[in-house]
Amino acid sequence: MTDAFQPFPGPLEADLQRDLRDPARRRLFLGGVAAGVGTLLPWEMAGAQVADKSTLSIAYPVDVPTWDPNALSIPTIQNLYQSVFDSPLRYSPQLKLQARQVKEWQWADTKATRLEITLREDILFHDGTRMTMEDVKFSLADRAKADKKLLVGGMLNTVSDIEVLSPTKGAIVFNRPTPAAPIYLAFLAAYVVPKAYMLKVGPEGFNAKPIGAGPYRLVEHQRGSRIVLEAFDKYWGGAPAIKQVIFQIVPEASARVALVESGRVGMATQLPMREAQRLAQKTGIMTKMYPFSEVYMLRIPSYVKPLENDHVRAAMHLAIDKAALSKAFYGGVAKPLSVMTPEGTPSYVGDFKYPYDKARAIAELKAAGYGPGNPVSLTFLSTNGLFPNDYDMARAIAQMWKAVGIHATIEETTPAKLVEAAQNGKLTGPLLYSWANSTGDPENYAGRIFDPRLRFSTWKDMALSPRIDALMTEVNEEKRMAGYKALNVESSQKSWAIPLLQAVASVVYSSTLQPTLFDNGYILPAEFKYR
Amino acid sequence: MFQIISAIVFRRLLLAIPTLLLLSLVVFVVLRMLPVDPLAMLLPASATAADAAALRQQLGFDKPLPQQFLIWLWQALNGNLGISINFRQSVLPLMVSALPATLELTLVGLLLALLISVPGGVLAFVLYQRQRETAADIAVALMQSIPAFLWSLLLILAFGVLWPVLPFSGRVGEGVVLPGITGFALVDLLLVGQFDAWLSALSHLVLPALALALGFAPLVIRVLRSSLIDAASEPYVEVAKLRGLSETRVLWRHMLKNASLPTITMIGVQFGFLFGGALLVEMIFGFPGVGNLMVQAVKGNDLPLIQGIALIFCVLMLTITIVVDVLYAVLNPRLRNL
Repeated sequence: MTDAFQPFPGPLEADLQRDLRDPARRRLFLGGVAAGVGTLLPWEMAGAQVADKSTLSIAYPVDVPTWDPNALSIPTIQNLYQSVFDSPLRYSPQLKLQARQVKEWQWADTKATRLEITLREDILFHDGTRMTMEDVKFSLADRAKADKKLLVGGMLNTVSDIEVLSPTKGAIVFNRPTPAAPIYLAFLAAYVVPKAYMLKVGPEGFNAKPIGAGPYRLVEHQRGSRIVLEAFDKYWGGAPAIKQVIFQIVPEASARVALVESGRVGMATQLPMREAQRLAQKTGIMTKMYPFSEVYMLRIPSYVKPLENDHVRAAMHLAIDKAALSKAFYGGVAKPLSVMTPEGTPSYVGDFKYPYDKARAIAELKAAGYGPGNPVSLTFLSTNGLFPNDYDMARAIAQMWKAVGIHATIEETTPAKLVEAAQNGKLTGPLLYSWANSTGDPENYAGRIFDPRLRFSTWKDMALSPRIDALMTEVNEEKRMAGYKALNVESSQKSWAIPLLQAVASVVYSSTLQPTLFDNGYILPAEFKYR
Repeated sequence: MFQIISAIVFRRLLLAIPTLLLLSLVVFVVLRMLPVDPLAMLLPASATAADAAALRQQLGFDKPLPQQFLIWLWQALNGNLGISINFRQSVLPLMVSALPATLELTLVGLLLALLISVPGGVLAFVLYQRQRETAADIAVALMQSIPAFLWSLLLILAFGVLWPVLPFSGRVGEGVVLPGITGFALVDLLLVGQFDAWLSALSHLVLPALALALGFAPLVIRVLRSSLIDAASEPYVEVAKLRGLSETRVLWRHMLKNASLPTITMIGVQFGFLFGGALLVEMIFGFPGVGNLMVQAVKGNDLPLIQGIALIFCVLMLTITIVVDVLYAVLNPRLRNL
């Protein structure tokens, strides 16, 4: 298989800017005080963690709700699923689709309805049993059919069956052309579980004691507190260099900062940018802030007035200074986006730039019948803490809109509420959102964002359905990409959704550690080693 | 005494049954009235309307509300509180595994709060109408104005970062496996004789429990102080002094016992808030209790789990009420016949 992905620009060292305008909230209380007193603390003061090079503790913000990897599609827990279960295919650090458990894959027809795959012969589950095509069929096809609640069925929704041709060979049969199918073998929920064990213990038993075929096996899970992984010495790729990995579940960002600052953990992820920049000044601590394949954007519910008005949406888009947002909240590391896909992905359109133009925004509002005496009023939905500086960015955008005559009232919400409101067509206004896509493929950006039939879509233009269908079944890769590029440009020009910034990941770790960081934001301890 | 206590407990338990039923109904109805669709987080994006309808039927969400409540109640009485949407497992075992951690945290927090507030309340009384009273008032007001989560952050800074002597993440140190006998780490580790692990569990409890205690203690100090001021004007105090008892003895042996009654009432009422305060504290300290579970349940619109936690909370509050009544009876003979 070939693809046209270009790697993102490499991870950037922390750019120590001090002029961030983060609003005061409780995590910043710690940050503010820590900034004053933290400089007094040498990294080595409590550096027990880095002394033992067979173990790595990671301060991590989210816990794993269930160890059934076919059940959920939460992006932030994929690091743990990848570590315990591995995956049929995987994206490289530079976003190239690569063989993993599946060593070869090719279309058996020209319509992209039959994908033949060959499994490695040397894959062992943690209980010593060999992975076969029966396990693949069970995990990716049979379970999805038997239980509609499993998200694996949603990710591979065109699979009609998996034919087992031999213990290591099989064919995934699709009920319609699915040319992008291989990407889903490296995406959410498409993990292979041992059929015999799952049938024997059931989903709850499996959840209590999961068995995968990944580089690490789960040895302990204290819910809400700690996940301990131990290197699996019979892993087909060889046992990882770091023998024990402890994910300490610490939802509060300031506590993660404290843990890494005091040397109690060797790595902390998803830290506030300002804190990551401060920690970068300390001896013995490395900070990486790098753009990855997630996109910050505004989703527009087409059924909310006056968002159906082209001029109003154009004004909303034109009024946003994306570069200023990046500088203020992400140290300038987050790349401003004009289309719904980041630079380096195959459907990126480098020569299209959506301008920041306040005068034009005011003119667009005037054309829609709005002006200083008659401003646009709308509700602006934002999460708070779902991704770094989300609520702060919403407030800044509201101020930018106010400057042109759009009065937005920010309403804080949660992902669960959003999913439900979107599903029921009850969103009350534009929504600041972070769109995760660890594949970089446009099908999982524009293809999903603008498909009006999907439960979570917000731009409900049914006329887009045939166009999206055509793209999802287009077997000619060049035509597929050209189609998505055109969709990216048109959706941005017409502001069906407003792309803002390429997301930024922040990782802070001991300088003795050599992590390989992925352009899709994955943190995979199996790819780490100590210096 | 035992008969009196048994009678109080029996009476309260009888009253607890309708209370619990009513509370269950209120919780159930309120959660169902919320504009929250539990199916939203349960189905994949590609699910059709037919899939949603089938699942709705499978989970009983298509039935009338009274019928849904009766089904839920019957299942609850049989120990089945439903399946968590977020965790994809039974609610009861989830809560059973998390509740001891929270109880242990709040009880140790309460103990620390009493260790701070009883001497603190007595000191505040001793300083009453003296020069240093203002300083004591300011100190108590300052303590009271800092919420538990802020105490958490301050304590982490002080004892986790600046002077890193105490752990501030998790329930026990790395390598310690909890035996899981009662679920209470301090009890279980003592039972199996793992003293190093016991110390580890204790050290992990200190900061979160202290954060809770520092938020709770000022309330007790204030109530105890004012109760002691009231008690000071009671005739028995004058009589005791006339009998030649020292002021210290009068204060600690007589006044404190009488002043403790309103304090116990306040502690009983406020214990629920202490439990509520544990939600944020658990999140900050990565403490695997009900608070952590609750935060995830609310984030994920996990109605069965929210319902289960609310029910457990109700049971807990009723238990505390019974304990307070029993303590009252023990401390105040006049109340034993009520």
